Order: sequence, then structure tokens, then C-alpha cells
Amino acid sequence: MSAQERRPETDGRDFADAMWSVPSYLLAGMAFYGGLGWLLDRWLDMSAFFPIGVILGVVLAGYLAYRKFGR
Amino acid sequence: MSALTVLAPHGDQFGAPTPGELFDLPPIIPGVDWFTKPVLLAILTSIVVIALCWGAFANPKIVPRGLQNVVEYGYMFVRDQVARPFLGKDADQWMGLLVSIFFVVLLWNFMGVIPVLQFPVASHIAFPIVLAGLIYILKIYLGMKHQGPLGYFKNMMFPPGLPKFIYVLLAPIEFLSNLIIAPFTHAVRLFANMFAGHMLLAFFSMVGFWFLFEKLTPLGAPVGVVGVVMTIVLTGFEMFIQFLQAFLFAMLAAMYIGNSLHAEH
Repeated sequence: MSAQERRPETDGRDFADAMWSVPSYLLAGMAFYGGLGWLLDRWLDMSAFFPIGVILGVVLAGYLAYRKFGR
Repeated sequence: MSALTVLAPHGDQFGAPTPGELFDLPPIIPGVDWFTKPVLLAILTSIVVIALCWGAFANPKIVPRGLQNVVEYGYMFVRDQVARPFLGKDADQWMGLLVSIFFVVLLWNFMGVIPVLQFPVASHIAFPIVLAGLIYILKIYLGMKHQGPLGYFKNMMFPPGLPKFIYVLLAPIEFLSNLIIAPFTHAVRLFANMFAGHMLLAFFSMVGFWFLFEKLTPLGAPVGVVGVVMTIVLTGFEMFIQFLQAFLFAMLAAMYIGNSLHAEH
């Protein structure tokens, strides 16, 4: 979509969409992959996978947010 | 002066109001356990909103005057700032729901600063949960109706334009974010703001009351003055927050409905 074709209405919608979706993506990423890591830690009796999972989750959620709203 | 310890026993010393005292209210009629102050205020609020809309729009004039004029401003605010940006041409169809939600939540919140009433209804989390749950059910129902029972979840979890293999990693995030985190934060955002605001106002008015009326001492009086000033300042600030949260609650409702009506991009 070029700059001329943009209508202020849809612009505002995309902006608000991103504003309210990105935090919830980041939270969901951390919760899901952090949770997986925590389960792995419990299973293998280790403690490294939980932080790895949290970071992986944030990175993936950030990538998702970038691809959805970053253009 | 050294008595500013939170949760100190109320006796000779100043004790900050505790959440239990502020929010765990006894029933108004002894024996009827469910009928507490927030319930009474919620009923009052509903009656006021119905009366306002009835009075304004039961017999509408082409050139609005009086009450119709005032309520029409509220309606137009919701239509232009909440409904149209997210629902586009479907906006008018959803105005009834969105206007009701906005006005009810706004009055719930304003109950926190209206003298004598002074209790924000949404600071009991059950109230925002019911509203947010309603929107949640509506959002899933509309999504399944307009995008197909499977199509809705497919559109939600597999947004177009990503490399194939990455879907395995991203679909759980989308699922968790849309179906669990979003409704949760929808309710908690309103609840937490009202809860914290009420605590702050209660604390500073308690400081003012205690140091200026209960225990007036030369050293304590300035603290009391600070308490009173802060109460006034924070009341103004709180009214802004109350309006903002009502607006956000209605706006997010419109956003969820809009995303269910049309698949994203």
C-alpha cells in the first residue's frame, strides 16, 4: 500500500492493533516457550531451559510482531 | 511521624487503609450476602444509563436540544473514536453494544469519585470479568460465523505471509495471545487501574483526615496538608484515568469484534 492510498481510518486501526497486540504477543511467547523450557527442566532435572525458553519466546514473538505490523 | 507504617493496627497510630477494609464490604441488608455496595452501584449505574438513553432518544428531534444534545455527543464520541476506526462500515450495527459498554464502564468508574458513593465498581474483578467474558464469547462466536469454525482458528493461528516452517513455532504464540492473554488483560487492565486508584485516594484522604482531625499536632499538620492536597490532585488525575479506561475497554471490545468480522489482511 503506497502512502497516497492510505486512509487515516485504516492507519489508525493498524496502529492501535499493533499497540495492543504486541505486548500480548510478547507475553504469550514468554509464557509458552518459557513454560516448555520449565517442563524440560523438570523432566531432565536441569535449570537452563527455562531462561532459554523465555528468551526464545520473546525473540519469536518479536519476529511475529515484526512480520505482522512492521511493514 | 514515625507511625507511617502500612498495616499498623488502628489505635493510637496512623494506619493506612488495607485492601480488606476498603474492598471487602459487608452486605447492605444483613443476611443478603450478595447485595453489597458495588452491586447496588452497578444496579444504579444501569438504571442511570437506561434512563439517560431513554430520555435522550425516546423522542428524538432533528435539531437536538437539552438531554438529547448531551447524550448525542457521547454517542458521536463512541462512534467516531471507538467504532469506526475498527469496524468501518459495520460500525452502526455495533453501536448499541459499544455505547452501552462505554457508558456503563464510564459510570462504574466515576462512582469512585462521586462523593458519598465513592466506590469504583470495577475494582471488584468480577464485574470486568463478566463484561470481558461477554466480549470474548461474542468474539469467538462472530469469528466462527464469519470465517467458518475452522477458518477462524486457521486465520488466527496461521497469518499469511510467513515462511512455512516457522508456523510450527509461531502458531502457539498466536493461540495463547488471542484466546487467553487478550481476554485476561482486557478484564485485568480495567480492574487493576480502578483498584489502585481507589487505594491511592483512600490512602491520601486518610492521611489528611488523621493528621488534621484525629491527631492534630504541630509536626503532623503539614503532613495532613500534603495529604489533602494530594487527594485533590489525585482525584483530578483519577477522573482522567477513569475516562481513559472506559474508552480503552470499549475500544478493545470494538477491536476484538472487528478482527472477528474480517480476517486480518
